[in-house]
Amino acid sequence: MPDNVANSPLLEVDDLRTTFTIPTGDVKAVRGVSFTLDRGRTLGIVGESGSGKTVLARSIMRLNLGTNVTTTGTAAFDGNDVLTRSPSEMRQLWGSEMAMVFQDPMTSLNPLVRVQRQVTEHLCRHLNLNRSEARQAAVDLLREVRIPDPDTRLRSFPHELSGGMRQRVCIAVALACEPSLLFADEPTTALDVTVQHQILNLLSREQADREMAMVLVTHDLGVVAGRTDDTMVMYAGTVAEYAPTVSLFADMRHPYSEALMRSIPLTSFPSHTRLAAITGRPPDLIDPPTGCAFSPRCPYVQDHCVNEAPPLVEIDDPAHRLACWTPVGSPEALTAFEKNLAAGLPQAVAVDVSTTWSPTGGVDG
Amino acid sequence: MIVLARRLVQLVAVVLAATFLTFTAMNTLGDPLFNVVGFVAAVDCDAVEAGEIEDISGQGGTSLGDCAVVAEAREEFHLNEPLPIRYGRWVGDLIRGDFGTSFKNRMPVSTVLADRLPKSLLLMGMAEVFAVALSVPWALAAAYRANRAMDRASTIGAFGMLALPNFALGVILFYFFVVKWQIFPSRFEDDNLAVRLKSLVLPALTLGMPLAATYFRLLRTDLITTLQEDFVVMAKAKGLSNRWIMFRHALRPSMFSLVTVFGLNTAALIGGALIVEQIFSIPGLGRALVEASIRDDYPVVLGATVVIATGFVAINFAVDLVYSYLDPRVRRES
Repeated sequence: MPDNVANSPLLEVDDLRTTFTIPTGDVKAVRGVSFTLDRGRTLGIVGESGSGKTVLARSIMRLNLGTNVTTTGTAAFDGNDVLTRSPSEMRQLWGSEMAMVFQDPMTSLNPLVRVQRQVTEHLCRHLNLNRSEARQAAVDLLREVRIPDPDTRLRSFPHELSGGMRQRVCIAVALACEPSLLFADEPTTALDVTVQHQILNLLSREQADREMAMVLVTHDLGVVAGRTDDTMVMYAGTVAEYAPTVSLFADMRHPYSEALMRSIPLTSFPSHTRLAAITGRPPDLIDPPTGCAFSPRCPYVQDHCVNEAPPLVEIDDPAHRLACWTPVGSPEALTAFEKNLAAGLPQAVAVDVSTTWSPTGGVDG
Repeated sequence: MIVLARRLVQLVAVVLAATFLTFTAMNTLGDPLFNVVGFVAAVDCDAVEAGEIEDISGQGGTSLGDCAVVAEAREEFHLNEPLPIRYGRWVGDLIRGDFGTSFKNRMPVSTVLADRLPKSLLLMGMAEVFAVALSVPWALAAAYRANRAMDRASTIGAFGMLALPNFALGVILFYFFVVKWQIFPSRFEDDNLAVRLKSLVLPALTLGMPLAATYFRLLRTDLITTLQEDFVVMAKAKGLSNRWIMFRHALRPSMFSLVTVFGLNTAALIGGALIVEQIFSIPGLGRALVEASIRDDYPVVLGATVVIATGFVAINFAVDLVYSYLDPRVRRES
């Protein structure tokens, strides 16, 4: 990568909006997301299914296929907007500068093509390697992602590999051309728990060794903890909270972040502890609520929340940004919670009966 | 090897079943002697012998002499034996490589088949080559820009080609290319391969165009499904060209229905091109089969049945081999 641009951010996303037009209306999957990512840094994007995290990643990669997608805003990669590039310019970028590891390694490798071609086909294209050089590069890559006996594995078909192996192959594919930005879209969701950890460690190690920027998309707060520099919590296509991962975990301010945290079962819980699930469902993105999108499920909801959407503003720590009228731990939140509990609001009651958690002190134990 | 053995058993079973049904039907529905000895075959010779029916020899009618001819022919073709025994005899001959002789001109059936089959196979091959050569690029182009103008026009065109019956298309082509512009010969010419191929162009087109439309529809639909797969998104994310993705990633997983239907159609074409063979005067197997059926010339019909049934099994075996070539997951450990 050229040194003269090294001090500008690698990725600068500004007011990105992605809409899918379907027969019943326009699904506003991403509704104005802005963030920057420096070279070699890592960002975790966390949110439940349908929060727009995958669509956001694919929008920046320009990989939302289909003719019914519109993306507005800017996503500057190395200072140039990705969204206005031509298809052939994108093909120069894909694989060589920006790469992606997908959610399901069972379906993201072509079942009819041997591993060797799947690992080498873009090497030949981007790096102008000949067959034997590409093969050697593939062997090295497989070795690097800790696949035993790479020579044999190159001749295998994907169905002959386990899920974890396949995801390692996908990572090898993504890393092959030394991209400066890697998107990992729920890379461990489809894998066994025992394998998840290995894959995440592999990604972290490769990211560090290659000084590559990485965006790790996940629904699991536990995955980003200790693995990413920054964390962005997304809800209903918007940013709920954005902070350095360390300060986010130290001081979680958005009720949604807190609710995600609360729903992680801990081994320290006594057995048969009722897990504090988030009541209700994510909002309809064809016709999203005018106020805070989380308000229908928020235990601290007050009238103001329903009427006006909170802006994303910096709070005490300038790197910590939050979109909430009643941040967790604030006096307003406590008052609102007691009022909601008295009124019998299900989301407040659900929190109250959960013995593992208290509205003032976060997770006990 | 086990696969091959299983296929051979299947082949034998299919051929036996098909020929037994054909044999029974041909013998029950018509009198094969009619074509050997003429109208006398219909006369009740027992009654003539017993004097119940008047002997009208000398007046072009039935005589005891004619009855002797009938009896002799019966003997020769073993028609006085029960049906199962005759079928058994036929199968025995078949195993020894003897297909019997045609009732029509006493030609060996094997000669008839050897004369007719190559022409039918050539026609079948050309028709399928045309169909595939037309449909595959067409489907790739349409699926690549699915639901755009070109795709929509293609769909209408394909339905048009499917709706136009064989005989209509054949006659239209015949009129323009043979009668009006005289580009192609009006009947099958057999001098050398080039001439043979030339005289089969129009019939192969007639057969191939509706096939192409079918293949186009199947392949286009499957391609569109495949193009939604994760591995296509991943291929795109690797920066591969669209052409590479279409040909090297999407085409192969999309070919299964096409291969299945291709096999069925090809097998059906072995003896099933009779209308086209009629229009373009090609002495193929289809026409031989029709002519023989009308005459109750069952040795020829049975011979053709054997060939067609064998072809069916062989082509379906080939289709299975193609499946395992296409998809490593169905490959057996050999």
